[in-house]
Amino acid sequence: MAANPSYGPRPWTFYVLATLFALFVVFLYGPMIAVLILSFQGPSASLVFPLRDPSLMWFDELFNPRRVGDVVGAFSRSLPLALMVMVLTVLISVSAGFAFRRRFLGSSLIFYTAIASLIVPGLVLSIGTLVTFRYLGLSASWYTSALGAHLSWALPFGLLIMFAVLGRLNPSYEEAAYDLGASRWQTLKDVVVPIVFPGMIAVALFGFTLSYDEFPRSWLTVGTKNTLPLEIWTMTTNVTSPALYALGTVTTVVSFVVIALALGSIVIIQRRRSTRE
Amino acid sequence: MASYFQVAPLALVLLMFFVVPVALVTAVSFFRYQMLVGIVPDFTLKNYIDLLSNPTTWSLYLSTVKFTLIVLIITFALGFWIAYFLVFHVRNLVTAIGLFLLCTIPFWTSNIIRMISWRPVLGKEGLINSALISAGVIHQPLNWLLYSDFSVVVAYVHLFTLFMIVPIFNSMARIDKSMLEAAIDAGAGRWGVVWNVVLPLCKTGIALGALFVITLVMGDFFVVNVMSGGLSGSATSGIFNDLQFLNYPRAAANAVILLVIVLLIAASIFRLVDVRKELVR
Amino acid sequence: MSFTLNPKSAPKLDAQASGEIRLVNVTKRFDVTHAVKDINLTIPHGSYCCLLGPSGCGKTTILRMIAGHETPTSGQIYIGDQMVVGKAPVERGTAMMFQNYALFPHLTILDNVAFYLKMRGVGKDQRRKRAHQMLERVQLDHLRNRMPAQLSGGQQQRVALARALITNPRVLLLDEPLSALDEFLRLQMRGELKTLQAELGITFVHVTHTQPEAIALADTVVVMDHGRIDQAGTANEIFNWPTTPYVARFMGGQNVLTGTVESASGAMARLRGPRGELFDAPLSPAPTIGTPVSIAIRRDRIHVGRVPGEKAELQPNSVAGVVESTEFQGNFVKVNILVEGGGPFVANVSDEEYFGELVKPGDRVVPRWNPEHVHVLSKADSNNAQKPYSEE
Repeated sequence: MAANPSYGPRPWTFYVLATLFALFVVFLYGPMIAVLILSFQGPSASLVFPLRDPSLMWFDELFNPRRVGDVVGAFSRSLPLALMVMVLTVLISVSAGFAFRRRFLGSSLIFYTAIASLIVPGLVLSIGTLVTFRYLGLSASWYTSALGAHLSWALPFGLLIMFAVLGRLNPSYEEAAYDLGASRWQTLKDVVVPIVFPGMIAVALFGFTLSYDEFPRSWLTVGTKNTLPLEIWTMTTNVTSPALYALGTVTTVVSFVVIALALGSIVIIQRRRSTRE
Repeated sequence: MASYFQVAPLALVLLMFFVVPVALVTAVSFFRYQMLVGIVPDFTLKNYIDLLSNPTTWSLYLSTVKFTLIVLIITFALGFWIAYFLVFHVRNLVTAIGLFLLCTIPFWTSNIIRMISWRPVLGKEGLINSALISAGVIHQPLNWLLYSDFSVVVAYVHLFTLFMIVPIFNSMARIDKSMLEAAIDAGAGRWGVVWNVVLPLCKTGIALGALFVITLVMGDFFVVNVMSGGLSGSATSGIFNDLQFLNYPRAAANAVILLVIVLLIAASIFRLVDVRKELVR
Repeated sequence: MSFTLNPKSAPKLDAQASGEIRLVNVTKRFDVTHAVKDINLTIPHGSYCCLLGPSGCGKTTILRMIAGHETPTSGQIYIGDQMVVGKAPVERGTAMMFQNYALFPHLTILDNVAFYLKMRGVGKDQRRKRAHQMLERVQLDHLRNRMPAQLSGGQQQRVALARALITNPRVLLLDEPLSALDEFLRLQMRGELKTLQAELGITFVHVTHTQPEAIALADTVVVMDHGRIDQAGTANEIFNWPTTPYVARFMGGQNVLTGTVESASGAMARLRGPRGELFDAPLSPAPTIGTPVSIAIRRDRIHVGRVPGEKAELQPNSVAGVVESTEFQGNFVKVNILVEGGGPFVANVSDEEYFGELVKPGDRVVPRWNPEHVHVLSKADSNNAQKPYSEE
């Protein structure tokens, strides 16, 4: 029986579902792998299979702004923006998460506003943010209006993660620390933060990638210079060479590196903790 | 009290970059647009009347709703069974988490790239057509694989199934295994356990997943645009067009209509399910 | 709670409906470890059986194998004349009461109780009516539209009971049913379970780690240790005539002493303990000199006396020790004595005797007993078997 927790032979439903799962993973990763392979396309500049004369020429093209678009420039804006969003998301979400451990006046209002900010279509918000800036007499740019727009998307996610993490934090740990003479600051530093740290890394990961990949909310708010997703967007209509695939591969690699760093640091922390004991 | 200071930054950002923008969009939706002059502050319902009486608006919204429903059903079916597999069939916890992470990793890469990467797969000379032709199943490439409703749905499912898997997985993992045994003990078959115990206890997760998928699909314009090759429209493509012509007031009105619909759907889901309890543990 | 049952609905006693349970060479292995090994047990129809032992001894595994929620690695299980291994739980005529009750949180208690009938395709009105009747019997029908979370622990348990009994089982399986209740409620429910079983006349198999509970309820007590049955018998047998040192210690009513045979005369043998003490044990025929033998003496058959003088000679059938602590238990006082050279020794002294001649922690004492009350154990104690709750 599917729900029988005893060990033993697997029911037929296991094989059906396992096949479904495998197909789903292929479905998820297949196209990405196709793009990865095609980014090594040779001078035939063919956008489809088969791969002829593999070469790195299209990666080279990425650094040529006239033919392909301002990739390097866009990257030099997307990366710092994502880092800023990451840092701010961690600081603001963690702080707010702690606030929500107690009931306070307006907590429901802020909670539902945050959820609404998650739900509202990005396009609507980018229009609104642009208009706001216009009326304030400020011009939109990637490090002001886009930053704010990205935060409106990343902060609710960060908040939800902090809810999950802090919700599982048993208050008796802090009470025990207090009982043993720890001050509030010490309790925070030596008990709460270490327990909550992997969650904070998750928040940082969300903050970075949500900003780095964000499209709708960047659209009108970046001002004159594009972030990377926007640059890719213009390239989808203009560029008809595998340079687009090369770019796809590069951005994917950057994303993977970031994920690996985040997950790796969690694993390292856990391991260091257990060996210390 | 400390809580107020701690929540202040969040409240501030939400105010500046959510509340005010939405309020301003609503305000602008009542302004007038004059050719060659631009936006004129006013209070008129002309934009709304224009939009609601225009059959194009309705057909665009209908098209969006159509996609939303199809995608919702497919992502629910996929999301539910994949979460079920991970929670109840995978015995090793570490393996289950590993497989779960495997599903989430693509989420961290660029949406646009993931979307475009379907082109060499679904295209006339793409992988699928080539494979089918060389296997002798068909003789002409299928041209409805790409730049069609089919490819739009495929892209949506590809991008958004994860948003179903995560909340459902979360709800399912919380189900006490003894509940399932009690159902078996009382004579429930395999399907009976799913229908009578698992499904009801996952309601909140399903509702949350549905909420995410609905708002993402309804608020999207670039997936539809790229994957249908410009053939299909969505509610947001209407807004997009108005923006191209700098007709901010009408774009704003359209945006408000979209916003109201989305918020109504969200509110009705919140009615059915106590989301706050599920999220804030 | 009074559980009134129409005598006409009591199960008929034919072989098909018989609630006799037989386990034949049942073994359960999880990967490399054995949860239970070569279990052979017969539980008579209509009896109350308690599986007793510490956590990890395998009692719950046996219960779950009878229920069908675990499958034995080898061996057969018969309920009545049916071999049930491989059959679904509902086909066995068993019903299980889970330790955490496992009430469906999304259903009212009425629908919880009606669940079995729903699975059998009984129509909504019909099944709700029957569930209502069942709830009346456990006196919870006034709460039938409440959700489980709104009920107290004791009430939830009655719902779980009603949900199990509506299936008209021939065997009721209870997984530590009283562990989650507070002391007062636990004793009350204990009495009600016993009455219930007598009225229904079906077999009850009750898993517990609490000795007083087992001997209060069971017709058959099965004491388990590390996946094996150490002793199965009536409560009286287990308590007064434990066969092994493990059972003697686990039941808590006995002191275990070990010595080697020194001499024998008539029906008694004289043993010499490790520190030179002398014990008499009824052993006939007399075993060979030098054989190690373990004996058990009931704690309430010990007389505790102060040491008469500094260097008095130790009499046979007594030990020397120091009082470690005393615990007042109402009718008697539990005196914990540290015997010279190690080893715990407990005397349950009646309050009259205790307050007649008080002993305090630190006092040197000589507990003594009548050799007629000594019971010989089937195997000699090894040092490893000191603690019933050891993690080996």
